Formats: sequence, C-alpha cells, structure tokens
Amino acid sequence: MAFQLPTWMALGPTLVLGLTALLLLVFDSIEPDTTNRGLLAGTAALGSLAAVGLSAWYLVAGTGEEPISLYQNTVVVDTMTLFFGLVFASVTALVVVASYDYMRDHSYQAEYYALVMLAATGMTLMAAANSLAVVFVSLELSSLPSFALVAILKKNRGSVEAGLKYFLIGALSSAIFVYGVSLVYGVTGSLLLPEVASGVADTNLTGVLGIGVMMILGGFAYKTASVPFHFWAPEAYEGAPAPVAAFLSSASKAAGFAVAFRVLTVAFPVEELVTGAAGSVDWVLAAQILAVVTMTLGNFAAATQDEVKRMLAYSSIGHAGYVLIALASLSGGSDQFVLAGGMAHLLVYGFMNTGAFLFIALAEYWSVGRTFEDYNGLATKAPFASVAMTVFLFSLAGLPPFGGFMSKYFLFAGAVRAGFWWLAAIGAINSALSLYYYSRVVKAIWIEDPSGDFDIESKPVGLYTAIVAAAVVTVLLLPGFGSVWQFATDAAAALVA
Amino acid sequence: MAPLPFELTPAIAALPFVSFLIALFVGAFAPRLLPKGGAVPGILATGGSLLLSLWVMLTVSGGETYHEYVTWVAGAGEATFDLHLGVLVDPLSAMMLVIVSLVAFLVHIFSLGYMNDEGETGLPRYYAGLGLFTASMLSFVFADNLLMAFMFFELVGLCSWLLIGFWFRDDAPPSAAKKAFLVTRFGDYFFLVGLVGVFATFGTSMFVGGEGEGAIQSFPHIAEQVLAGEGAAEVTTYLGLDPQAWFAVLGLLILGGVVGKSAQFPLHTWLPDAMEGPTPVSALIHAATMVAAGVYLVARIYGFYALLPQVLALIAFVGGFTALFAATMGVVKREIKQVLAYSTISQYGYMMLGLGAGGYVAATFHLMTHAFFKALLFLGAGSVIIAMHHNEDMWDMGGLKDRMPVTYYTFLSGSLALAGIVPFAGFWSKDEILYEALVHGLNTPLLLAAYVMGLLAVFFTGFYTFRMVALTFHGEPRSDTARNPHDVRWNVKGPLAVLGILAAVAGVVNMLPVQKVLGVKNIDFLHQWLDSGPEALSAHHYGELLHDFAHYSAGTIGSGVTTVLLGAGLSLALALAGAGLAWKLYAVPDPEEHTDKLGGAKTVLFNNYYQDEYQVWLAEGLTLPLARAADKFDQGVIDGVVNGVSSVSLFGGSRIRRVQTGVVSNYAFLLTASFVVLLVVIGLVGGWF
Repeated sequence: MAFQLPTWMALGPTLVLGLTALLLLVFDSIEPDTTNRGLLAGTAALGSLAAVGLSAWYLVAGTGEEPISLYQNTVVVDTMTLFFGLVFASVTALVVVASYDYMRDHSYQAEYYALVMLAATGMTLMAAANSLAVVFVSLELSSLPSFALVAILKKNRGSVEAGLKYFLIGALSSAIFVYGVSLVYGVTGSLLLPEVASGVADTNLTGVLGIGVMMILGGFAYKTASVPFHFWAPEAYEGAPAPVAAFLSSASKAAGFAVAFRVLTVAFPVEELVTGAAGSVDWVLAAQILAVVTMTLGNFAAATQDEVKRMLAYSSIGHAGYVLIALASLSGGSDQFVLAGGMAHLLVYGFMNTGAFLFIALAEYWSVGRTFEDYNGLATKAPFASVAMTVFLFSLAGLPPFGGFMSKYFLFAGAVRAGFWWLAAIGAINSALSLYYYSRVVKAIWIEDPSGDFDIESKPVGLYTAIVAAAVVTVLLLPGFGSVWQFATDAAAALVA
Repeated sequence: MAPLPFELTPAIAALPFVSFLIALFVGAFAPRLLPKGGAVPGILATGGSLLLSLWVMLTVSGGETYHEYVTWVAGAGEATFDLHLGVLVDPLSAMMLVIVSLVAFLVHIFSLGYMNDEGETGLPRYYAGLGLFTASMLSFVFADNLLMAFMFFELVGLCSWLLIGFWFRDDAPPSAAKKAFLVTRFGDYFFLVGLVGVFATFGTSMFVGGEGEGAIQSFPHIAEQVLAGEGAAEVTTYLGLDPQAWFAVLGLLILGGVVGKSAQFPLHTWLPDAMEGPTPVSALIHAATMVAAGVYLVARIYGFYALLPQVLALIAFVGGFTALFAATMGVVKREIKQVLAYSTISQYGYMMLGLGAGGYVAATFHLMTHAFFKALLFLGAGSVIIAMHHNEDMWDMGGLKDRMPVTYYTFLSGSLALAGIVPFAGFWSKDEILYEALVHGLNTPLLLAAYVMGLLAVFFTGFYTFRMVALTFHGEPRSDTARNPHDVRWNVKGPLAVLGILAAVAGVVNMLPVQKVLGVKNIDFLHQWLDSGPEALSAHHYGELLHDFAHYSAGTIGSGVTTVLLGAGLSLALALAGAGLAWKLYAVPDPEEHTDKLGGAKTVLFNNYYQDEYQVWLAEGLTLPLARAADKFDQGVIDGVVNGVSSVSLFGGSRIRRVQTGVVSNYAFLLTASFVVLLVVIGLVGGWF
C-alpha cells in the first residue's frame, strides 16, 4: 500500500455509522417536521453503504490480519471485527432502503433513521470490544435505540406494548449481565479480556467466577434471543415495524454472537476453564444445553404459528440455536472450523432473514394481512417478490442451491468434525422440521388460490430494491461461498488459532 | 491421431440416432416433410453406418485396434473410481458392428414393403423406434466398459418395448411389450447389482486395459492376476467369500441380465409373445439386436468368465437345456412366427452352450451366421405374411412355392442353414459348437450332458424347420388367400436375396472340420480374425485362461480326425433325420395334423411346459401377497411412525406456544427460574458448591 492510514481509521465503519447518526440528528433539529424522506433515507443509506465499502475494503486489503489495538487495548480491530462490520452494515443498508417506503406516512422520520444508525454503531463496536466495560456500553448502545425502534409506531398498540416488553426483559438481562461482569472483575481484577484470561488461570474463587461467567453468558443469550432469554423476541418482532424486525433478528443477533464469540473464547479460554486440569466452569456444556433447547423450541414453536411474521420470529430463535452449535462444539479440537461455520452462517443469515422480513414488510405495506391464509395466491399479483421470498425461505431451510445450504452444511460439518455429531443430528432434524413451516408459506403464495382480492396499487421501489438485492446475494453466496469461508476462517483464526 | 475410420466410429451409432431424431421431430411437427414416414432418413443412416462399419472392419483387418474414452464422472476422495464413456474397436466389436448395421439396413428396406406398402399409420413412430434401437445396439457393441454397456443394454430394452407394442390399440401387443420389458428387467436387476459389484470389487469396469504404468486395468485382467496370485492387484470381496467364489457370484449376477435378454431358460417366456410386434422388428430383435446383446456381452467379457469354471459349466448347461427345451416346443406351433420364435430361443441356447463349453470362436461364429439366416427367415416369414394378408397360421397356407419363388428359395436357404445341413452356414457354426462341447465334455460330465441335449435338439430343429417349410410352401393351398396371394415388391425381395446368399455361403469363413480333416492350412479365417487385436481380448488368450483357470482340456475319441468326423456326422445325420421325418409327414398335397399322436405330451407342448403359468403363479401367488404385506408395513408402520412424529411435533409445538403467555412478569419469572436451573446444573457439574 502506498500510504498508511492512521490506526484509529481501523474503526472507520463504526465512526461512519456514528457520524451519520449525528448528521441525521442535526437534520432533525434544523427541521423537526421534515417530510423529505429521500434526504433522510438517502443519508442513512449512504452512510451504511460507506460502512459496507470500508469494511469490505479493509477485509480485502487484509487490515485485520494483524489485530489493531486501540484506546489502551479496550478496542481491537481484527478480521472478525471487519467481517461482522460487513454483516451489520449490509443489513443496515437493506433495512434503510426498505424503510424509505415502509415509513412513508409516519412521523419521527429523522429519529427513526438516527436510531437505526446508532444501533448499528453499537453493533460494530460490540464486534470490536476487547474490554468487558466496552462490551456492556456497546451492548446498551445497540439495545436502547432498539427499544425505541420497536415502539416507533406510537399509535399502534402492538408496537408500543412490544417495545415495553422488550425494554423490561432487556433491563432484566442487562442487570444480570452487568452483575456477572462485576463478579468476574472481582475475581480477576481486570476488565480487559486478555487480562481476564490470565486472571482466570490462577484463581481459587471458582464458584464466584462460574456464576459470573454464566451471567455473562445469559446476557449474550438475551442479545441473541436464545432460550431462556428469548421471551422478548416473538413479541418484539411481531409488534415492531417489519424492517425493524429484520434489523433486530439479523444484525442484532449477529452482534450478540460476535461479542459472545470474542468474550468467551478470549476471556474464558476453553483449555483453562473447560478441558484443563482445573476445569470447572463448563460454559461449553451450558452452550450445548442452550443450543439444543433453543433450536428445538424455536422450530417447534414456529411449526404451529398462524401468522407468518411470528413464524419467522420463532424461526429466528431456531437459527440462534444453530449458531450456538459453534460455541457448543468448542473443545472438540476443530475450534476454528466450527467458529468459522457459525460466522459464515450469520453472514448468509443476515441476507436471507432480512430479505424474508422485508417481504413481510412489503405485505404489510400492501395491507395483505398477517396469517398464512392471507398470503394465499400472492404470487399471482407479485410474482417477482414471491420468487425472492421463495429463495429466502428455502435458503433458510438450508436447501441447495442457495447460500443457506452451504453455511448450514459447514456449521453442521464443523460440529461433526469436533465430535459433536449429536448436535449436528439434532440440528438436521430441526432443519427438516423447519422445511415444513417454510414450505407452508411457499405453498400459500404459489399453490393456493387467492381467497380475496389484493389491494395492490403500487410496487414500492425501495422495498423491491432491498428484497431483490438480498435475494441476489442469497443466491450468489452459494458460488461465492469460497471467499466467505476464507474470511470466516481468518476471522475465527484471530480468536482460537 | 487414430486412423480416420476409428475417429468416425461414434458416428456409426450417431447416424441412426439422428434418423431417430428426424423421424421423431419432423414426424411430430411437419409430417408432410418426411418422405416415406421416416424410412428414407433411416435407410440413409443405417446405410451410412454399414459403410462406416465396413471401413472400420477393413482397418481392423490391417491389425489395428482402437480404444478411446472420456471421463464423464470423476471420482472424488479416496477409494473412488471414475466413470467412463468410451469406444472399443477390436475384431469382435468390428464384426458385430457390420452384422448389426447390415441387418438394420436390410430391415429398414424391408419395412418399406411391410409397413409403408401396407398403409400402416404411425410410421414416424415406427422409424424413430427402429433408429433408436439401432443406435442403442451399435453403441452397446462398441462400449468399452460394463457401465456404458449396461446403459445401452437398457436402452435396447426400452426400444424393444416401444416397438413390440407398436400396435398399441390392439390388446395383445401392449401386453406382450410389457411382458418383454418386465421379464428382461427382472434379469437386469441382477446385472445392475453385478455391475455395482464389479465397481466395488475392481474399481473399474473396463473391458480392456490401458498401456503403460498407472493406466486403468481391465477388470477381467485384475481378476486374472488375483486368481493367479501374481502382481500387485488388489480387490475387495464381500460376503466373506474368497476371490474365486466372489467372482463367480459377480459372473452369475451379470449372467442374470444375459439370461433375460438372450431369452434363456427360465426367462425365455417374453420372446414368443414379442412376436406381436411388426415382423421386421422381430427380425431386428432376434437376429442382431436385443437377443444378441446378451450373448455378445458374455463374449465381450469372456476373459472374466473363462476364469470361472462353475459359471462356465452353468452357462453351458443352461444353453444346452434351452436349446433342447425350446426346440421341442417349436415342433407343435401353428403360426409361422411362433416356430421362428422358439427356434431363436433354441439357437441362442446353442451359443450359450458354445460359450460355456469354451468355444468362444464357435459361439461368435454362430452369432454371425444366425444373424444372417434368422433375419432371412423372419423377413421371409414377413413376406409370406404380406402375401397371406397378415394371416400367420401355417395350416391356412400351402403351395406358396410356385407363387412366390424368390421368397421360397431364399427361405429354403435359411431353413437349410437353421437345420444345419451341409454346406449351409448354420451347419459349420453349429457343428463347431457341438464339437467344442464334445471334446471338452469328454473330460467334464456336466458339459457332456449339455452336449447330449444340444445334439438331441438338432433332430427337433430339423423337424420343426422342415415342417414349417413344407406346411408353408408345399402341398395344395389350404385357403383362398393362399390360392391368390398378395404380391411383394423389390423392397421385400432385395433384402431376402442378400441374406439368402449370406445364409448359404457365410460358413466359409470358418470351415474348421475341413481344415482338420483334410489338413488344409489357414482356412479358419474367423479364428484368425478373432485372434488378432489386443492380446488380452484374443481367442488364444481365452484358450489359455480356460486351460489354466477353468482346467478345460480337450479329449478325443480315437484320433482327432475321427472325433471331428464323428461329431459332424452325428449332428448331420440327426438333422437329416428330423428334416426327413418332417418332409415325409408334411410335404404331401394334403398334410394332416399329427400332434394327436403325441398323446399327453401334446397338451404340455402346446402350453409351453406351463412356463407362463408358473411364472404368473409366482407373480400372483407369491409376489403379490408379499407386496401387499410390504405395503401394509409401509402404510401402517413406516407411515404411522412418520405421522406420529409429525403429530407429536405439532402437539409439542402448541404446548411450547402456550409458554408465551404475553404477560411480561411471567416471562421475567420463567427467565430467571430457567437461568437459575442452568446455573445450578453447571455449578454441580463444575463442583462449585
């Protein structure tokens, strides 16, 4: 490279997203009642696309190959940071573009986009956090705007109720998390992850440490919507505007996993706490229990839903269970492989799940209705979007020839390689079940006859653009999975190699 | 770069395939553009194939052979293998290419008279079927590995189904087509299992190995090395069998396909029914394509069978038995084509006998001569059927000799060949088979039994052949149509003439008795022909294998010359006796049915030894209840489990749904309680307390 950027520029994606949020707030204070949706959505979209570009550029240029430590080692930028930065920024871009149409008649436009940007800033910071304090702050930075986003439809009872429930559960979980942080700090005397690791190695206070670790794990379970911290998810996703649900279920979940991967592997090393001679805090076992319960509960509950959006909410819980396999299979001797599998799945999931929720957003935009029956025969009116939805659903179910097939395959293959074939088997059984409820939507859209007339007047450009982009990426991720896998492996290498 | 004709070999099969496509698509979309309903493209294509085949054969006679293949599925990982498609041109396949394309060419021309002139409808479908049939058979002939052979073997089966059931609006042809398809498919199951076994055992199914280090070896060669205990060749055997026994199992499995296709006992029952197809199709099926495919396959991998004495003995015994068994049934048939059908089964029995008895050259020889004279007889029968306005009952014929002389004399030539009367082609080849069976049988009792059956069959062959000739052409006409038959044109007489000459003289290519008795050197042209080419596929290599592995050795009665003379004299005498008896009984102005003299045997013979009945019983009495039981199991147990799983899932799902009450304090309680449980579990495991 001919020139060297200053090292603080490594946080470029985070900074760009944060500055965009501030810029939107400036717009808002200048003209609070603006109806210039194009300007607001355009600014947000440009900001998030700039973050996508920066992340991609850094990834390709290899910026994260040598981890860059900033601010007294409280923040670290490595390949994993950039990899997840790319996921968050892409999902943000899709959501923002789709919101242009979805939020057309709502007030608080500028706040909406500013909150999305702030939450995205928090997420990218979560992926870079190297200190438990930064972890907590960034987690709250992404959570607090989310509460407001879920409740943004102030006149909609469901939206407000969901926002409140989300906030209450979130507050409880944050309390548990921060209590866990304090216990760990008490035992190890440090908040920096590498120093926590060395403190963990020579402590006698195993019980206190164990409770702390479990509480921190609980905080991550909340963020990733894993059982038993999942209760907020179905309600919040259902009540929230569909683009926000897409944002939360894709990006927010991925952020939770990003930070969980780093904290658990760096601060609480498996070889010290789980498999070592003094192994006594078996958080891998806890992750196994959580993985099995989460994917089973998510999929079983999804199978009996009547509403498509709520079905997707539960399916997103099920997917959290799949990704938990990555944590649950550590200690099996192929850590890098399973972690990479989890990361790759989160990336593919970011696109296919966002796309599926955006299709819901489209249906809500058209006032189609919420149940499976309401979707009957939708393909006759909107064949193009229906094809995209079919791609998302089959990809979510893990069918070839879509991206979801490869990522799920590698995730399960990683578990098998690590010797946890039973985790992969349970995952496969759950995937088979998931095919049932995903196909219900496909059947309703394509095969059933319309039960009534659809009142479809226009084809919103923004929503269509976002859906098509997500569908194209979902399909392209199958041939392009090689490079995704390469980056995911590099990212995982920074943690466990 | 291989010589040009070799490079063009794939075109031999591609030409009829193109004619198939033309007949199919032009016939479907622009039938008026298709001259003669697709006959012209078919004739041009098979004519082109014939010319190319002759050119290939000429090049092979220069001592060159050709083997090229492409990999169409590459194996990945360890312990896998590639799948190939390839072309193997050696003396055997070159000869067969000529036979098949010649017969196909003549059948196409004949079809002009049999189908077009008779005003049949659906001609494009007919010629499309013929084209695909020919293309499949030609590809089967030059296939260089067992998998490719299997694929075209199946295509041949498919085409026979299409063509036998050509008149699908009548009752009998579709039923016969289904029967042919199902019975041969039954044999092919075994072939398929055997094919997979060959891949699993040897990792290749090549017929011929490559040159040099690291090249793919042929599976017969690997088997030979393993059994000889030399070389580094390794194979995987299954079922805990040693290589010798396991190879025999594989050989028997492949033989299943052969028995089905070549209509050997007990899977011969489809063939007489297949007479429901148009007569030119019967000629093609019986002379050169479908039925020949089975025997050709054994000849193609003879290097494998020659290692397995038990399998060889079984082949010989089944062949000899089929020869006799089918010949006795042919004696009482009323329809001309039925007689020919049973004669086909019987003649292929001879070929199997020859192969099993170690007479590779003899069987190939008979395959060739039979192709000529059986195609001739079927086409001759077709000519008679045209003349008789599609009445096939011989008891309504008689006296056709003077009214259709070309048909008569060519048919007579074919009949003399079939009956094995010197010097017609069939005599030389059948005699050589019986000679091989005799000399090897002198040291092996089982082979001797097979020889005796083959010898007895000669008598019956002579009898039914000349019964057929006499009833059809001699005596007084027994019906009005026979008195005033329909005319046939050049397109019927031409093919008959060509084949009539071949049936008379084709024997000269291998006059072994003459060579042995008179001591004339080097007139066993066919033997020399099959001895050229790659060493591993040559006749003398097979001879060595038979000697070393199957422990075949030739015995003699008195001296070698006596044995030859005795064998030939015996079979000729029996053939003449059979023919003479038939002549005496039936070549009279007003013949009677003598079947009543057979007493109880008559019913048995008319019912074909109740072969169909017991197979139907097997299907209805055994397979159907078994299938019902399996269906019950599937519906009850398997589906029950599946349905149970799904209802349990949905029930569980609805329970889980109820946990989500919508009351946030419940959530907080459940969350905390579950978290505490998790904490306690992990704490207990970790021993914190």
